[in-house]
Amino acid sequence: MSHFFRLIHNENVKIYKRMGTWVMIGILVLVVALVGAFTKFVLDPGSNADWKSQLTAENAQLTESLETAPMLEAQKRLLKERIALNEYRVEHDLAPMERDSLWGYMVDATTFTGIAALFTIVIAAGMVASEFSWGTVKLLLIRPVSRTKVLLAKYASTLLFAVLMLVLLFSTSFLFGMIFFGFTGAETPYLSYSNGRVVQQNMVTHIIELFGFRSIDLIMMVTLAFMISTVFRSSSLAIGISLFLMFTGPQIVQLLSQYDWVKYILFANTDLQQYTTGTPLVEGMTMTFSIVMLLIYFGLFAFLSLFIFNKRDVAA
Amino acid sequence: MKKPIVEIKNLKKVIGDKTIIHGISMDVFPGEVFGFLGPNGAGKTTTIRMMVGLMGITEGEVLINGFSIEKNFEKAISHVGGIIENPEMYKFLSGYDNLLQYARMLPDPVKKERIDEIVKLVGLEKRIHEKVKGYSLGMRQRLGLAQALLHSPALLILDEPTNGLDPAGIREIRTYIRKIAHEEGIAVFVSSHMLSEMQLMCDRIGIIQDGHLVSVETVGDFVGEKVNTVLEIEPIEKAREFVEQTFPELNPKVNGAKLFVSASREKVPSLVKVLAENEFEIYQVSSENSTLEEKFLEMTEGTK
Repeated sequence: MSHFFRLIHNENVKIYKRMGTWVMIGILVLVVALVGAFTKFVLDPGSNADWKSQLTAENAQLTESLETAPMLEAQKRLLKERIALNEYRVEHDLAPMERDSLWGYMVDATTFTGIAALFTIVIAAGMVASEFSWGTVKLLLIRPVSRTKVLLAKYASTLLFAVLMLVLLFSTSFLFGMIFFGFTGAETPYLSYSNGRVVQQNMVTHIIELFGFRSIDLIMMVTLAFMISTVFRSSSLAIGISLFLMFTGPQIVQLLSQYDWVKYILFANTDLQQYTTGTPLVEGMTMTFSIVMLLIYFGLFAFLSLFIFNKRDVAA
Repeated sequence: MKKPIVEIKNLKKVIGDKTIIHGISMDVFPGEVFGFLGPNGAGKTTTIRMMVGLMGITEGEVLINGFSIEKNFEKAISHVGGIIENPEMYKFLSGYDNLLQYARMLPDPVKKERIDEIVKLVGLEKRIHEKVKGYSLGMRQRLGLAQALLHSPALLILDEPTNGLDPAGIREIRTYIRKIAHEEGIAVFVSSHMLSEMQLMCDRIGIIQDGHLVSVETVGDFVGEKVNTVLEIEPIEKAREFVEQTFPELNPKVNGAKLFVSASREKVPSLVKVLAENEFEIYQVSSENSTLEEKFLEMTEGTK
């Protein structure tokens, strides 16, 4: 096992001894800081003093559309949940979270997982393809280490980089949130709706949960990039295809959502939040179905990478 | 007879519907420098890539120290150090960090002292902590050699090791290769298309042509015995007939104004004496070793 750790150590040396990696890490931290500053100094938070009457008005409107407008079962359920949450807030005197608060900002910052995904894709795309373009693959593969182990070490190091990016995102958004907005409202709970009841939840748990949901998309796209890098030995192709699919995939799936078969496409399943706080893309899709689909896609990517990497004639 | 470190048995490689290597068999023994010679495109690099597991084997097998490179890769390759074509290194790392990369991949990591020892051996100690980016080709070759020797392999495979080196560098590498083979009993497998170089470096030579192994001989057999003697003599046609009758084994031939005979060194005085006694006018007698180059061209042209 310690041998495998040494292989991961090797891959990490190759990641972090390159300038490009540190530029990406720097950009991530910079974006988090800049958006924090923008939220604090430029955006107008608006008056939130009469939030109670606002929520009451919203509820009245929602109730009306619930009765008159035609809509799907799932949409109806969603509106009812929203009404229940709003009522709970008014009853228990819990003001909605504001953007220019520590938690509000941290929740916003979870969308930057997209940037973390982007950078991790760049790393993943280079993992195997670069060894070929540098010519170092010839010396790498004549060591007493099986190709499977080499590839697994590379994949594990890519995931470690993803974890680093997420931890960095979480900690810097907490840090800059504290600097810009202070630790006020730390006790504000997050309200969620489960089994027909409104429940209070710890805010940090909620934010970590958000990170968790977004990481699924990240891991799938990174694995895809890693596979393309291994199969085609081209990092630009891997970056291009993965980013294209990451940005357009969800839209394409949305466009095609009238067809039933769309549920078998990867991007219809990467957002598991659709089952907890939204409507499933296609009627009848369940969390279990999506998890099974994700595992199938993951298995396919892993199999293709391993199979082709083991079979390949190295003749560069 | 020593046990061979490498056994290549009827090795074949087919890519698509083209056969690149047509069933090569040869053995390499500990303590010898084996030259693998052939023109560009003959299949040297393909054979080497199959020997180190970079390419799949279509048919036949390669055994290193008794272990199949295909079925028992990790065991077989642990005895091998190699440079395959140019020694390409991680340019953003220092020479030392590059060596550490390969040290970490071994099942039992080599000690720091061993790395320092190897660095000294290849003469890179002054610049080993600089990034490889700034290395000259010669320095990269040395680093490549260091990387190949790190784990004290029983077999060293070098693909065109003197490529891009200056004459002093070539000599140094040659001396070093002969030294480790003969003193430490390492088998060295060297490929090259530089004939003169191989003649000086190798103990045995295998010639590959269009994917066929044309011959395997010791350098002595290859070069030594056969001596061409060139005579400037008149009348030339008569002289040829005379030699043909008196010494038919010398196989005399006329080429231009010169008579070529395959006489060994010891034979030359008696030949000259007899010719002089028979009133032939001899202007010049010279003898030359048939070099590997001639032999090589002779062989490879013969098969075409």
